[in-house]
Amino acid sequence: MECGIFHTTYQQDMAFRHTWMEKARLVLLLGFIIIFPFVANRYWLTLANQIGLAAIGAIGLNILTGFTGQISLGQGAFMAVGAYGAGIMANRLGWPIWLTIPAASLLTAGVGAIFGIPSLRLKGLYLAIATLAAQQIIDWLITHWTSLTGGVEALVLRREANVVLGVALRGDRTFYWIIMAFAAATTLFTANLFRTRVGRAFVAIRDQDIAAEVIGINLFLYKLLAFATSSFFVGLTGALTAHYRGIISWERFTIETSILYLAMIIIGGLGSVSGSIYGAAFMVLVPAFITNVGRQFQTTIPAMAQLLPFIQQGIFGIVIIFFLVIEPEGLAKIWRDIKSYFALWPFSY
Amino acid sequence: MNRKLSAVLTIVLLSTLVVTACGGGGGAKGGPIKVGAIFDLTGPTSDVGTPYSEGVRDYVEWLNGKGGVEGRTIELIFQDYAYKVDQAEQLYSQYVQEGVVAFMGWGTGDTEALRGRIAEDKIPFMSASYSANLAKIDEAPYNFLVGTTYSDQFIIVLQWILDDWKAKGMSGNPKVVLFHHDSPFGLSPWEDGKAFGEPKGIEMMELAQPKGATDFTAELTRIRDFGANYVVMQTVSSPAAMALKNAQSLGMTDEVQFICLNWCADEILINLAKDAAEGVIGAMPFTPPSVSVPGMKDADEFLKGKGSSLQEKGLHYIQGWWTMAVMTEGIRKVVKDGKEVNGENIRAALESLQNFDTGGVTAPVSFSPTDHRGTKSLRLFKVENGQWVQLTDYISVPGG
Repeated sequence: MECGIFHTTYQQDMAFRHTWMEKARLVLLLGFIIIFPFVANRYWLTLANQIGLAAIGAIGLNILTGFTGQISLGQGAFMAVGAYGAGIMANRLGWPIWLTIPAASLLTAGVGAIFGIPSLRLKGLYLAIATLAAQQIIDWLITHWTSLTGGVEALVLRREANVVLGVALRGDRTFYWIIMAFAAATTLFTANLFRTRVGRAFVAIRDQDIAAEVIGINLFLYKLLAFATSSFFVGLTGALTAHYRGIISWERFTIETSILYLAMIIIGGLGSVSGSIYGAAFMVLVPAFITNVGRQFQTTIPAMAQLLPFIQQGIFGIVIIFFLVIEPEGLAKIWRDIKSYFALWPFSY
Repeated sequence: MNRKLSAVLTIVLLSTLVVTACGGGGGAKGGPIKVGAIFDLTGPTSDVGTPYSEGVRDYVEWLNGKGGVEGRTIELIFQDYAYKVDQAEQLYSQYVQEGVVAFMGWGTGDTEALRGRIAEDKIPFMSASYSANLAKIDEAPYNFLVGTTYSDQFIIVLQWILDDWKAKGMSGNPKVVLFHHDSPFGLSPWEDGKAFGEPKGIEMMELAQPKGATDFTAELTRIRDFGANYVVMQTVSSPAAMALKNAQSLGMTDEVQFICLNWCADEILINLAKDAAEGVIGAMPFTPPSVSVPGMKDADEFLKGKGSSLQEKGLHYIQGWWTMAVMTEGIRKVVKDGKEVNGENIRAALESLQNFDTGGVTAPVSFSPTDHRGTKSLRLFKVENGQWVQLTDYISVPGG
């Protein structure tokens, strides 16, 4: 907290941004997001969209794991519920995109709550295994319930499903706006969530569940609520992916996806909304960056070309370890450190 | 600490911006023709992905060494994508941005995920996935399949089984099990195969190989209880080799004929299963290097010049080599006709390809505007003394 700030009204005290610096940064960021699609090429738009989608999912997972302290290894599967939910609603029921996205997210929230039931009895690693079961069960259902999901065949969404008021929503640039709008809404909702009774109950459960129950928090209700809220956003990522790509296959939502999202929030910072976004950006940009650097070496040092893919994979691992070692609290903490360094410069105390 | 950190972050961000600032049109007159490719060099299918990628890359190098297509060179832009769909999408959009006119993919997951976008971008696409889904023209208008589809492979095998059953003078109906990889790839030939086989009296069952299993004895026991005479495996080499070894210790190999569809019929299977692979039949759209055909001469000479050989690189190398050759043939036609080299024209040129000779590596390749299945026949091979040897001549898909 910066010194020299005195609140004289409750409005000031409750404000999201206290200093002009914070407000200026927000304006800069919004400006960047708005200008970006006009200057970026398709490759950058693809990356931005992947970051946006991953950020929504990572915030969702962070609500559950970072804020409520419930480990989940079922993110990939919940994302699949959102994606297949949206796809099936669009194809079978003929629903348009503006109906399928909220409906599929709500569906995922429900499924998430059901698989959250074991969390009342199980904690830590035991819960992780229980959610792993969710991953396996949903994976199995998707690949074997052929009459509903199309089974092993990829699900192709009707093209008409993306039409809203006669306008076809297609392409990277259009979806950039949709994804960013949802990402902004998710960020705003989640940041505010932890200023409410519900959000504080989540944090209390994370810090000490027995103490939380003693002070009157209904553990069963709030744990399920955490699962539902978290799954809602994860399902949103899935539903958006389905409409954005127009085609979904089972292979996108495996256990590897679940682990990738866990890695995002651990690197970004557990229990931090901005950390989820940093983590998502990190997991998309770093491999892309390494790939592009690798391409330069491919032509300049042909002898290395054979080894390059392995070096790239290795470097990605090393970078992750490096960031975790220098700051176990994640990128969000690194960013806070940088901010406070400049805020206090040149007389740090 | 903080100062160092911010410096590191700044450098990372800046260099990302610098490095990715590329662009340009691949179809520009006279310049190199850009073709994009993604390979699995580090992911779960890298054992077969690596030789395939070498085949594609070496073909381009060999071709450019000879002067390219009608005097223009081909520039292959490629990266490892480790079998990750997200990575494939990134690389695809980057390469399209850089002006590639055609694209070489790899697995079922990435090919399926990209098929909508390639249709919008009009980029002809060939991959090593032969799922019959990709041959549906209305859904995948820019996908071309050089190898025989999994469904056609299975149907050809079933046809052979019917003939073999009759030739052996057996009474009753043959019983066939499709023992498959637990994935879209594994199950993809089942429906089409069943629709072909069951009306002809074949009793059929499908059974998945459980993911991550280290022993298939339980599954093989079920297959034996079913009374299977033929077991068709649609999987990759290592689980197939394990199944063969288990079958050998159960004493099943004498009573049951094991048949591999193309992704488990290769040298890796023989190396892993050793003598348990003896007598296994392979449905192979691409001729293995153990059987010499004229279409292997160029690749073999090229490799010998580099101190290697086709025997060493194996079947998937020649598969990559000729897949790239078919794509190049489409590009060559466009250049020859003096048209602009773009995806739409390459597609039209490929669709006019008739009986393209691969020197016996595959059946002659033909595409048409209504059919993107390049080959509809293949030969069966059999493992004898640790080598694939030819068993039959080309068998065509009945009614195909």
